[in-house]
Parts: sequence; structure tokens; C-alpha cells
Amino acid sequence: MSFELFSNLVGAFFTLCIFSFLYKDNPFYQAAEQMLVGISLGYGLVYTYNRVFVPYVWQTIIIKHQFVLIIPAIMGMLYLLRFSRKLGWLSRYPIAFSMMGVGMGVPMGIHASILVQMRQAMVPIETVNLFLIFVGTIAVLLYFFFSKAHTGIYGKFVGIGKWYMMIGFGASFGLTVMARISLLIGRIQFLVNDVVINGFLK
Amino acid sequence: MNIFERMQKLDRRYIYIVVALAIIIPLMIPYNSDNVTTPPTENLYQMIDSFAGRSDRAILMSFYHDAATMPELFPMEVAILRHCFERNVKVFTLTWFPAGAPIIDYAINSVKEEFPDIQSGVDYCNFGYKPQAFAMVLGMGDNIANTMNTDAEGRKLENLPIMRGINNYSEMNLAVEFSGSSAGGMWIVYARPKYGLNVAVGVTAVMAADMYPYLQSGQLIGMLTGLKGAAEYEKLVDVFAAYRDPKRDYSIKIDEDGNKIMPGRPFGREILEDESVKKLIRITTQTKAEFTMDEYLAFSAKYPENRALLNNLKQDVGGQVVIDVTQISPELRTQMGETMYRELNRLTRNTLYKFKVARIGMNAQSVAHIMIIVFIILGNIGYFIQKMRQAKN
Repeated sequence: MSFELFSNLVGAFFTLCIFSFLYKDNPFYQAAEQMLVGISLGYGLVYTYNRVFVPYVWQTIIIKHQFVLIIPAIMGMLYLLRFSRKLGWLSRYPIAFSMMGVGMGVPMGIHASILVQMRQAMVPIETVNLFLIFVGTIAVLLYFFFSKAHTGIYGKFVGIGKWYMMIGFGASFGLTVMARISLLIGRIQFLVNDVVINGFLK
Repeated sequence: MNIFERMQKLDRRYIYIVVALAIIIPLMIPYNSDNVTTPPTENLYQMIDSFAGRSDRAILMSFYHDAATMPELFPMEVAILRHCFERNVKVFTLTWFPAGAPIIDYAINSVKEEFPDIQSGVDYCNFGYKPQAFAMVLGMGDNIANTMNTDAEGRKLENLPIMRGINNYSEMNLAVEFSGSSAGGMWIVYARPKYGLNVAVGVTAVMAADMYPYLQSGQLIGMLTGLKGAAEYEKLVDVFAAYRDPKRDYSIKIDEDGNKIMPGRPFGREILEDESVKKLIRITTQTKAEFTMDEYLAFSAKYPENRALLNNLKQDVGGQVVIDVTQISPELRTQMGETMYRELNRLTRNTLYKFKVARIGMNAQSVAHIMIIVFIILGNIGYFIQKMRQAKN
């Protein structure tokens, strides 16, 4: 038995273990679930040690003697003190330091997510699509304006915003179904093609 | 209990069985279906294609996901890598997730089966897993080699041939991020406004609705949406790799510095809708290599020792020369040599399964969607009829 077939069989076994939950909860499903969590954590830990701690901390400080990096290394290690009741307060210092990134993110985030979006909503209404976008934007924004009762002509216009949102939720639902079916397709393609056809029939 | 009441109380496990069958049967019996391409996919394809053969342009692929979203994102990654390697576009890859690193290796190794001459450090460069995405995204805007320092194999970037002509986002002018969550967020917020980097994303279908505003505002130049986006890109890669406009010269030229000059390719909806292109869209197994007389003469001239063998295999069909590869016995295959057999097989446009996996998946997707729509309609009819009866009683 080739290594590829063996590894595919292991994958197929655990796929079927997870699928068995569709019938009812059982020890095979439980075992596969626990192993997934454990393996992901173990893999991430070892990989982070090799690809982050060794090149960025160990090699730079111990081998290249860039001792200034001891300061951020200690700062980073203060995060671990969150597990201590007595010294947990020290972990706030690296958190406070990392707020620097948040500070930078605020103006750039406002630019990318609000200003550019607003600018694109203010283009001349030259096509039907742009008209629909214009009406939808105004109607949905007004729907969330609760200082005026949704009655009369105003209420009817705001109702259009509700319809826009319903269509949006429908599109999201359709895309969600597509995504979930795609995951199932991926697993079945693995079982049918990689395991059965390439593993046993060829 | 009437039929509608039964329908409402149907055990969910029967529905699971029907869903499984709706997916397994189209996968076991593939059929030719067409995925109509959408502008977000076409725009991304065209942008990458415009970098063809240029030493001062490159793309960056960010594999920001783990194995959980591979069924949707992996076919996109493979399709874009195939496009880049086929068109001689420099590719850089990285991931912000430790679990994304083996996926990069898997994707590159999968594509290497089709392009065995592709070299690491020359045609592509894998940065591997990098922490501190925020600092890296900003740093690459100034200098890529200084920020990334080494590739995944530990080699100094400044010494690699691929880095010639590539300094920062002015050259590595397109970042494509594949993610099941916040795709492209870092690039749209930091790299695009500050450095003018072009950004595109490949997202799971669930995330697509969140990304459309960025597409509409022009902050994303393109987007691949779930398995459908992957299938569209696979189709574009295969169709335009094989399509030849008779009026154009497609030969690769070499300039005085020894650089390859890739021929430009026409792109348009009218080509995709052309009757002659329909055969290039097929995803079922193809066995016949079709040549015009000139193409056949050029092909046979490459293998003069096997010319007699080729002449025995060929058939004239409607003024075209056709060779059916299923007629080649194992003895004949040994006699003609593996190189010639593979080239002949490639000319049948018989794409490897792993390079059409999204398109085959879309067959099952279509059947499953129709089935779910039927379930929803039946469920609603049952519900309302039951409600009407209760109201009557």
C-alpha cells in the first residue's frame, strides 16, 4: 500500500466518522472531533515555534546578538501573565502597546469602509442600476432612523428599504447554501476520486 | 395523517440521503455543463494576463485560510497558479496562518505536474508563513526584499533571480487574497489607499455578500466567489490557453536581452460564445486530438522517427486530421515514447481531474440547488395547506 493511499484512507475514515453525526451522536464522531482540535492546536504550536520564535527571537537575539529585541520579546511574554491572578494586570501593557495599530486603523478604516463607499453612492444617476442603488441606499438608511414613526408615505418609502434588505438576506441565504454544498462536494470528490477511483480502481 | 403532515414530519435523515445522492450521482457520471463567466472573474483574469512575460510585474497570492475552506478556495488557487505559469507571470505566495503553509506547497506541487520546468526562486517565490500581517503589508510597500528577508526555504530574497525588477507594490502590483473570513481587509484598508496596490479576493460563497460593496466601489478589481468563481476561472484558463485566433501570431519571441516576449491574447465575451470554443469548454474525458493539415505537418515534423506511426493512427474527418488516443496500445505508446504520447494527449484537451475539479463540482452544485429549491417549495406548500386546514377546523 502506497503512502498516498494510506494517508487518503486515514482521511476517508475520519471523514466518515464526522458524517456519522448525521445519523446520531456517537463515539466515532466524538473521537474525530477531539482529534481535530488537538492536532490543529499541536500543529499550530510547533509551526509557530519553528517559524516565529526560532527565526525572530532565538536566532536574532542569541545568534545575531540584536539585544534590543529583548524588550519587545519581554513585552510579548507579558501576555502570558493573563493566566496569573496576581500579575495579570501586567498583560495590559502589551495590549496598550498594540492599540497603536488600532489608532492607525481608525482613519484608514473610515476611508476604506465609509468615505469611499459614500463617494461611490454619490455618482450621477446615469443607469437603471445606479438609480436602484441610490433608492436602496436612502431607503435602507431611513429604515434605521427611528426618531420618526414609519407611517404614511414615509412609512411606504421606508418599506422599500425593508424589501431591499429581504432581497439581500435571500442572496446571502443562497450563497450560504452554495458554500455548504461546496464543502460537501469537496469531501465527496475526495472519497470518490482520490480514495475509490485512484486508490482502488486504478 | 395526510401527505402534507407527513411531509412536515419527515425524518431529516431521509433528506440527508437525498442530498448525498444528488451530489454523488453527478460526480460519478460527469456531464458537460457550461459556467457563464461573470465580470469580477473576467476582470481578475484580464489583469493577471496583462502581466504576461513582464519581468517588472508580479502578483502576490495570500493563502489566508486553512483546510476547512479548501473545497472552495483551493481550486481557485490552482487555477490562478496554472494561469500564471502558463503565461510566464511571476508569482509570490504567503500566508498569515500557520496551517496555510502546507496548502501553498500542495497547490504549487499540484500545478508542477503540468509545468515541470517551473523553478522556485525564478518563476515563483514562496514566502511561507509570516507573522505580523500589519507590519508586513506596510513594509512591502517600501521594499519587499527587506521586509520579507527570506523565502520559505530560508534563502535571502535579494539573491533570488525572481526579485530582479521587483522592489515594492509598484511592481508587485496585484494582491489576491483567498480567505473564508475577512478576505482582503488588510490590503484594502492599508495597502490600497497608501500605495495604490490593486486588490482582488477569492472568497467562500458565504463571504461574497460582504465583499460586493468593495467590488462596486472599485476597491477590489476582481473577485472569485466560491466554487462558482473557481469554475469560471478554470474555464477561462483552459479556453484561452487553447484558443487561437487564426489572424494572430502566437509565437513567443526573444528580445536582444534574452527576455521572453509573450504574445498578447484577445479576450472577449464573443470568443467565449463562439461555436468553435464550445469544444474547449467540455469537461468530460476527451480522446481525440484534432489538427488542421498545417498543424499536423508541424507536429509530425517534431517526431520524424514516428511519422509512419502517426500516419497509421490519423483519420481524415471533414478536412481535419484526427488522432484518437484510445487507439494507442501500450506497445505503441512505448514505441512512440512518453514525451510524444503526453503531448498528443494534451492536444485532446483532456484536462486532468484536479484542474477541472470546480467545474465537475458545479455539476453537483446545480443538481443540489434544484433539489433544495424543490424541497423549499414543497415544504412551503405543505405548511400553508396544513395551516388552511387548521383554520377551517
